[in-house]
Amino acid sequence: MTGPGDDPLIARLAAELRRAPVARPGFDARVMAAVRRAPASLPSRAWTWLREERTLALSPLGGAAMAAVLAGVVIAGVWGAGRLSPAGSGPAPASPVAAAPSVVTFVLVAPQARSVALAGDFDGWDGSRLPMRRGTAGIWTVNVPLAPGRYDYAFVVDGRRFVADPAAPPATGDDFGRPTSVVTVGGGAARAAGGSL
Amino acid sequence: MNVRKLTFALLLAAPASPARAQVERLTGRVDEATRAAVVAVVDSSRSAGVPAVPLVNKALEGASKGADGARIVAAVRALAADLGRARAALGPAASDPELVAGGAAVRAGVSPAFIGTLRARYPREPLMVPLAVMADLVARGVPADTAAESVASLMREGVRDADLVAFRQSVERDIALGAPAGGAAAVRLLTGTPTTSTLTPGDNTNRLPRKP
Repeated sequence: MTGPGDDPLIARLAAELRRAPVARPGFDARVMAAVRRAPASLPSRAWTWLREERTLALSPLGGAAMAAVLAGVVIAGVWGAGRLSPAGSGPAPASPVAAAPSVVTFVLVAPQARSVALAGDFDGWDGSRLPMRRGTAGIWTVNVPLAPGRYDYAFVVDGRRFVADPAAPPATGDDFGRPTSVVTVGGGAARAAGGSL
Repeated sequence: MNVRKLTFALLLAAPASPARAQVERLTGRVDEATRAAVVAVVDSSRSAGVPAVPLVNKALEGASKGADGARIVAAVRALAADLGRARAALGPAASDPELVAGGAAVRAGVSPAFIGTLRARYPREPLMVPLAVMADLVARGVPADTAAESVASLMREGVRDADLVAFRQSVERDIALGAPAGGAAAVRLLTGTPTTSTLTPGDNTNRLPRKP
């Protein structure tokens, strides 16, 4: 069986789109040197101002008012958290992965499609926030910055049809009877995902 | 009073409830009964160290795909159970992405005991990619035990995360060309897999320590 993805030209174009961009050596160092040369910005000056030691004079009445505000904020926070979890606290919360997002290029070859969008864990499965752009020969692409993690996703073709990514691993299990794919973003280089319809 | 201390105190006292913010994402996407049931699952799972984000995402996936409430709640419960088993195996310090990958591995059939052994062997190294590769291999038809042992074997060799992904891709290619899934993983393990060429020499990020 052949499809649009089997065309060698289209396959070459799609492969090129999926290739992760590689910065030239020394690019980071040059950018950081330029940043250091630049004059301090307003947020930077504000941060410096915030870090400087200051003495704040408060009357007893002002101090009491401040204490009341703080107590109210604390109570509101505890109440908000407790309402969701009356069962109490569990193990220590997981530490977030501190890493910059990688830009992932999603590619679908679908010449007959009128519209293609991406939906997944990264956009709350919205289906309208990440429309894909149609390129040459019906190749649809979208770039999405993703933090390290494992994400389920699917393509939404013509606003209603969920299509799995043939070039990506399928999600384990089939909870809702519609195809789902998986992309795992590590902490390193950008990784591309995509396939043809 | 010192302004810095005051700012710090205010930041500490700010109401922070990520779980509540997550549940708010369900508003308008599922009916009230389904929302209440999902909130109950999120709430009860929290005590087991299961984060709200993947559970809410699962509910949103179901809503987007037009599933009915019962099916959405069943899927969220199943995911919560998998994530709970992964949390128990990986420990309280596991990151959310690691936990999600662990849950996928558990669902794929990798035993929590095996994941626990892996954590004991690599207590400080992130296991997100190894666990994700295990789940992905099983999804391609590789038996769970073979997938788990293959990845663990490569980890013992001290390979990078990117090399594990390259291994998975090689196995996928072999399967697509007609090789039996279990055999493809075993053969790739014996014959080696292309290593990443984009990493600079001497770069040892994500490199796992070699263990006997």
